[in-house]
Amino acid sequence: MIPSLGNFTLWLSLFFAVFQFFSSRKNKNIKYISLAVIFLFFSSLISFFLLIYSHVISDFSVINVVQNSHTTKPLLYKIAGVWGNHEGSMLLWMLVLTLVNYFIFKLLNKKNSSFILKTLEIQAFIIIGFLLFTIFTSNPFLRVFPAQLEGLGFNPILQDPALAIHPPLLYIGYVGFSAAFSMSVATLILNNKKNIFWYNYMKPFVIGAWTFLTIGIALGSVWAYYELGWGGWWFWDPVENASFMPWLIGTALLHSLIIVEKRKSLQAWVLLLAILAFLLSVIGTFLVRSGILTSVHTFALDPSRGIYILIFTALLGGYSLILFGVKSRKFFDNNYFSSFSKEGSILINNIFMTVVCATVFLGTIYPLLVEAFTNNKISVGEPYYNSTVIPIMIPAIIVMGIGPILSWGKEDKLKILKKIIPSVLITLIMTIAIFLFYKSYSILGFAGIILSFWIISNNVLNIIRKNKAYSMSMFIAHLGVGLLILGITGSSVWQDEKIVKMKVKNEIKIKNYNIIFDQIVEIKGINYIAVRGNFLVRDDEKKIITKLKPENRFYPITNIFTSEASIHSNLFRDLYIVLGEGNMTNGWVVRIYYNPLVIWIWIGSLLIFLGGIVSLNTNLKKLLKW
Amino acid sequence: MVKQILIIPSIFFLIIVSIFFYLLIIDRNPSEIPSNLINKTIPFFETESLFKNKKFISSEEFGNEIVLVNFFATWCKPCRDEHGYIKKFQSKEKLRIIGINYKDDPEKANAWLKDLGNPYSDVPLDKNGRIAIDWGVYGIPETFVISSDGIIKYRHVGPITKKIYKKINLLIATLKLKK
Amino acid sequence: MINKIFVTLVSFLFFFNLLNISYAVEPNEIMKNKDHEIRARNISKNVRCMICQNQSIDESNAPLAKDLRILIRNKIKKGKSDDEIYVFLTKRYGDFILLKPPLKFNTLALWFLPFIFLIVGLLILFFYNKKYKKV
Repeated sequence: MIPSLGNFTLWLSLFFAVFQFFSSRKNKNIKYISLAVIFLFFSSLISFFLLIYSHVISDFSVINVVQNSHTTKPLLYKIAGVWGNHEGSMLLWMLVLTLVNYFIFKLLNKKNSSFILKTLEIQAFIIIGFLLFTIFTSNPFLRVFPAQLEGLGFNPILQDPALAIHPPLLYIGYVGFSAAFSMSVATLILNNKKNIFWYNYMKPFVIGAWTFLTIGIALGSVWAYYELGWGGWWFWDPVENASFMPWLIGTALLHSLIIVEKRKSLQAWVLLLAILAFLLSVIGTFLVRSGILTSVHTFALDPSRGIYILIFTALLGGYSLILFGVKSRKFFDNNYFSSFSKEGSILINNIFMTVVCATVFLGTIYPLLVEAFTNNKISVGEPYYNSTVIPIMIPAIIVMGIGPILSWGKEDKLKILKKIIPSVLITLIMTIAIFLFYKSYSILGFAGIILSFWIISNNVLNIIRKNKAYSMSMFIAHLGVGLLILGITGSSVWQDEKIVKMKVKNEIKIKNYNIIFDQIVEIKGINYIAVRGNFLVRDDEKKIITKLKPENRFYPITNIFTSEASIHSNLFRDLYIVLGEGNMTNGWVVRIYYNPLVIWIWIGSLLIFLGGIVSLNTNLKKLLKW
Repeated sequence: MVKQILIIPSIFFLIIVSIFFYLLIIDRNPSEIPSNLINKTIPFFETESLFKNKKFISSEEFGNEIVLVNFFATWCKPCRDEHGYIKKFQSKEKLRIIGINYKDDPEKANAWLKDLGNPYSDVPLDKNGRIAIDWGVYGIPETFVISSDGIIKYRHVGPITKKIYKKINLLIATLKLKK
Repeated sequence: MINKIFVTLVSFLFFFNLLNISYAVEPNEIMKNKDHEIRARNISKNVRCMICQNQSIDESNAPLAKDLRILIRNKIKKGKSDDEIYVFLTKRYGDFILLKPPLKFNTLALWFLPFIFLIVGLLILFFYNKKYKKV
């Protein structure tokens, strides 16, 4: 009964979406539209909860529950498992989409009605497209008769809190950009005859989407680092790239919106970025769910679903980009500005973000292009991205240090030089200090440390100078970026690794730590048995710093083996131990990693997220005042 | 001029979408890698044979007729699943099949073939997996079609299915005509 | 005593099944010559695991990855150069096995377009600045 009700609510949502489409397009009756928007949201909410309910009670008559759940799953993961699969995640996608739809509606007033109604019309079209996709190709409420006795969803690697919340955060990001897309298309269609400040309306959505996309991506990396066992946190996997590209365009967009607000320049460019951000989210969805390429992240799908999404993407992208091609000329202005100004630095940032995005896009789809035109298959992996993205990012980050201290309008080049002298000095001092500490030299390390302290020192000096032009959110977010670069540099360049065979009571030295293999014990967990190695970590003064306890687990009911690393973190480094194969007679394979500065990656990402939240708050207040 | 530039993003986009569309409609396996040895001579190898007392020398065994090469192991479940088709290739299509036993125990291989039936004219042993590496094998079972002049014409990764069985037969019929 | 038996039993189980979760390079693979080992690791980091496909053989625990790691180390011992080793691998597995796409006719666009993008971007900046100066 519940699953059929769930299916019904999907059709109900479709009805309301179509209703919203026609009433915002033709009828324009506010009462009808408000009913459509609100009922559309609640209908999506109910669908979502009905699927959660089916998972929680382990209703194995529902195919989606059979494929993705298991009676022994803890409650938290039964719920998280709902959006961990393709069909269920579409319901979450719809929920966020209809919520964003509601927030757009809330902006409606007498003055902006033509603009907001047009936006709602386009948003409704997007909702209809995804609903049709869900109902006809990815329906989570399909049944199997007779009901199964047990489910198949028991992979313990996926039962993790970071992984549970990672999709919802990402979706707020991807879907949040839909509002910017709809507003951009609405502005282009209407030629902005009524001179609406569309950028003011767009900004909070862009900031919200970007902020949550940032933390969503960071959590995915956190999970990879802790769970996968070799200390890596980014693999340039196509699905990771699919989240990075909207993030890059989103970064460009949120910065250039500032320029449009301040001096009405670059409107056409911003309209294009707003289209591209969401378009990249949708293309990303296509790449991940169509079966066109394989990746550890892809949902296993058949090409027919892929064809549907591709057609929808083609309509959405084709229409919006052709519209842009035809109409954007009207939004050109003569408000040029010097490259040596705050606006100039933001434009430079935009160019670099776009170039990096284009490069990541190229690398991601290139294997597909080669396959289509030749009979060959090539692969594009991490070395390619490191060789291309890093050199392009370096000048972008240098400019990022200077940008915030420039004023609006042209700045005297000599003045700029004077302003940056203190930060240059601090950067050099900190760089030398770090190299004296780590005693290991590398060009990349050099570049990374310089860049990171360049950002940090410029930022901090800005606060000290009480520069009127800075904002708290910018300070926090940019500081976060500086720390992020610090963490990335440390963990990539100065990592040390020891792979050894150890018998109980053996010792090994890594950097200035002594690691003693104290004992092997057996552990019984809730649904697993495990072999655990107890390791003592001593520093050079023989003091015990910590005990590390990596485990190898066996889940008997589901026949799965996992390995749990044991990590000790502090501000300077992570000590990371993994237990391999072994036995009492011959000893055990032990892998020990010394990962410097890793924690700053997480702290930096968190600060960027907080900066975004502060900015969101500020911008919402501004919007409400209006 | 500006108008032309503005339409570029949409053209770019539509080209990419068309390429994606093409890739979706053709018959392809996104995770299968094409063999780099197609239309090249088989790699030479010399190793023990499971049944015969003399060594298996590849230059003597290929180059006379169309041959199938099947990499298999007793510990590989899909190999067991596809064995029926391998036997069919031998019994129905009268093809000569060489079964390269990959990283396996010869005693176990013997028992496995006794149990499931032996369609192979010979079973060279690849105990350390080097022969497989020379053939570019990455996931057993793998089946190769070798033409009568010792050229690799086709490689399938994974168990033989009905579809692949038909495909291989068609290919062999074409090869026979070319002679 | 029971502890010892249990631990032996479970570790025995793990020995056969840890293929799922054992982590890549093993102590008995490590070469005595430090420079050789660094070379081996660097080459391995550029070789894609054909089975797991999103890892290098340096990180992967698949049996083929281990075989290739050992093969690479043997070749280094025999005095082969990095290029010779890459040629050996691509002859058998194609260019797909390299994580860094080799510069060939079919990858010219891949390697040169990013810098073309950058130049185009900088040109746009240049012309924008010029237009500003005019006004």
